Amino acid sequence: MRAARLKWRWIMAAAVLSTAASLLLSLPATAESALLPPPVSPNGHRIWDLYNGIFLVAIPIFLLVEILLLIIIVRFRRRAPDYIPPQWHGNTLLEITWTVIPFLIVTGIAAVSFVELRTDFVKPTDAQTQLDIAIIGYQFGWDYQYPQGFKSSNTLVVPTNTLVRLNTNTRDVIHSWWVPAITGKTDAVPGYQNYFWMKIDHPGKWHGECAELCGAGHYTMQIDVEAKDQAAYQAWVQQQMQSSSQAASGARTSSPSPAPSPSSAPHG
Amino acid sequence: MATTVAPPRAKSYDETFFSPVTTWLTTTDHKLIGIMYMTTGLLSLVLGGIFALVMRIQLAQPNQHVVTPDVYNQMVSAHGVTMIFFFATIFLTGIANYMVPLMVGARDMAFPRVNLLGFWLIPASILLYYLGLLPIFGSGGGGLSAGWTGYPPLTEKRFSPGLGTDLWTMSIALWGISGIMASTNFLTTILALRAPGMSLFRLPLFVWAQISTSLLLLLVGAPLVAAMVLLELDRQFGTNFFTDQGRPVLYQHLFWFFGHPEVYIMILPGFGMISEIMPVFSRKPIFGYSSMVLALFGIVFLSLAVWAHHMFTVGMNIYIETFFMVMTMLIAVPTGIKFFNWIATAWRGAVRFTVPMKYAFGFLATFLIGGITGIFLASVPVDTQLHQSYYVVAHLHYVLVGGSTFTMFAGLSYWYPKITGRLLSERIGNWSFWTFFIGFNGTFLNMHTLGLSGMVRRIATYSDPSWALTNLVITIFSFMIALSVGLFLWNLVRSRTHGAVAGNDPWGGYTLEWATTSPPPPYNFERVPIVRSFMPMREIRAEEGTSFPEERAASHGEEKKAPAHR
Repeated sequence: MRAARLKWRWIMAAAVLSTAASLLLSLPATAESALLPPPVSPNGHRIWDLYNGIFLVAIPIFLLVEILLLIIIVRFRRRAPDYIPPQWHGNTLLEITWTVIPFLIVTGIAAVSFVELRTDFVKPTDAQTQLDIAIIGYQFGWDYQYPQGFKSSNTLVVPTNTLVRLNTNTRDVIHSWWVPAITGKTDAVPGYQNYFWMKIDHPGKWHGECAELCGAGHYTMQIDVEAKDQAAYQAWVQQQMQSSSQAASGARTSSPSPAPSPSSAPHG
Repeated sequence: MATTVAPPRAKSYDETFFSPVTTWLTTTDHKLIGIMYMTTGLLSLVLGGIFALVMRIQLAQPNQHVVTPDVYNQMVSAHGVTMIFFFATIFLTGIANYMVPLMVGARDMAFPRVNLLGFWLIPASILLYYLGLLPIFGSGGGGLSAGWTGYPPLTEKRFSPGLGTDLWTMSIALWGISGIMASTNFLTTILALRAPGMSLFRLPLFVWAQISTSLLLLLVGAPLVAAMVLLELDRQFGTNFFTDQGRPVLYQHLFWFFGHPEVYIMILPGFGMISEIMPVFSRKPIFGYSSMVLALFGIVFLSLAVWAHHMFTVGMNIYIETFFMVMTMLIAVPTGIKFFNWIATAWRGAVRFTVPMKYAFGFLATFLIGGITGIFLASVPVDTQLHQSYYVVAHLHYVLVGGSTFTMFAGLSYWYPKITGRLLSERIGNWSFWTFFIGFNGTFLNMHTLGLSGMVRRIATYSDPSWALTNLVITIFSFMIALSVGLFLWNLVRSRTHGAVAGNDPWGGYTLEWATTSPPPPYNFERVPIVRSFMPMREIRAEEGTSFPEERAASHGEEKKAPAHR
């Protein structure tokens, strides 16, 4: 009788675990979205490698604790009202063990993270930098200021295989520039000059959003990035320079400023 | 021991003379004030939950505009402010207000009138905040719409002209003052009013948790008030502390110097409750009492030096970031000690899965996930990807719901018989637990994947169709949470009249609150008990001849304080 009930509990526990596991694995797949957008810049690549590395350490810890809990649930239930469990008050050796091992694990994770931080989160030197672009956030859009003197709204166009140094700033409140496929986010804070970099390895288009709540139109503050190969990029630059000089000459007669974002912020 | 007579309704001394309203305004009984705190907290839970449900309806499908973006942002803010300031902290203050004097064997708090004043500042604070949400203070509602964190310059007058933001700063400042009062009161009570024989290392772990919580709130309450006052000076007097002429990031430092310890203010009392519940329902003493206390203070110490991990993307020096990263990760060590000690407490025990114990295990199973994702977020490079995404929303809810709310429900189910004299319905309790457990995980587990695929938090709507299905699933599960909270509250109300009579000590507890009647008289104890160990109820039961089998064995055997691992 008791054996049968015990067996049933194990079956229940296995069922709960496998349901949870399948839920965990199937949902992102059914949502048709890749769990991690494939990274296209070496720094973004290394960040996801780090994420996956921590994941490999985290999963055994997660499973260990959950399995211990399940063992308690199944095996150590109160079977008889007068059952006397062993009255332990502690065990110094055990307690030291589960202090030292987690300490070593997190120290290791911190060390690896620090190496990545030193590698990818320092401002590239002028010598390393092949292209300097300033990102200026405003309620609710982005301007990209190119060294050639023109300004691109809406889309950041960069050449492939070029180390682009980006400097974020803002005209009003705090914004945060984030395209998950490229690299981590960088805030645009009034009075701060923040830098990050990208080096996209193939032509394509990527999407992101402003990541810092910045007002009613926050959700409209989209980010589009397009990487073109060198030839296409040069052509695009020429075209931009022509149209910006036209806009500058036309500005005296018509609109005083280049039109901001066409995706209008409804409550801006 | 269970008496067959129905217990009298909890009556305070004053109540025999005055109407209930006058009693609420004038009582100095820590138990009634505790109930008032807890009720305020639970009402806030309902309000905050309604905001969450409206947000989930809006996000169920892409491009929906059930509410305007401005109202949505106010709801994001109101949900956070309500849940953190008016639900979690307030409910926990209430349960501690009720239990701490009983557990240390005192007749009331050290400063009963300060206790009452501290409580009444809270409804005032709540009222101020909600006044700000009324549309009369600005077009479309002038309430705070910058999230519960309220970062300037967005909260400066230029960008948030509504009066609601001013009322928010004042509301939170009042809340901070009330918290400082309550903390002082707890610390004094615990240090000065303990029963004879109750040395510090015989204090129940819930009381130790309350010491560490009060210490934290005492240390970080003032910076919060300062941040709010400075912001209000900016708004009304043009002082430029945090404007683009000043230092917006300074506000973030001040706010998170409070804000991160606040997470522990909301979680440490929960840790304390779990440390009470695990031994009682496993019929074993807590494993590693001293290391549990040390771990609490380890968390207190570390939590004061981690605040900037909320700011890894604002552009700090990488070595400073490394310091905060390391400190943050180190919190996993004392938390891990507590986890394994809880597991060892139940290990080879005689575990009884009552509703409080189910919630305790629910806490262990889910808070673990919040702890592990915390390591990912602490790693600066990884954080720059995950920060401000739905991954963070998932993480913080695993910490604050999986951690804090599960423990609150565990604690309230555990102490409800003491507070009302009646047991909660086990059947409704089970339904409530399972719907909460499944609904919670269904809601927040899925948010991790949304965050990883790039969905930003605090957006009023989104257009990416690949997020639609996951969001719909989340919304459905979120209604399951609402159902379970409804069941839980209904159980609280219904069992007051329909519950089985509990008696003084329905669970076989180990701490002093079980020595008195349920509910306790206004003076708590007829005779203040003398404490001889950290589980004083064992001796009290031995005197009365009502010991449990393992206690009889222990008193005959060779029970030592030293580790006795077999």
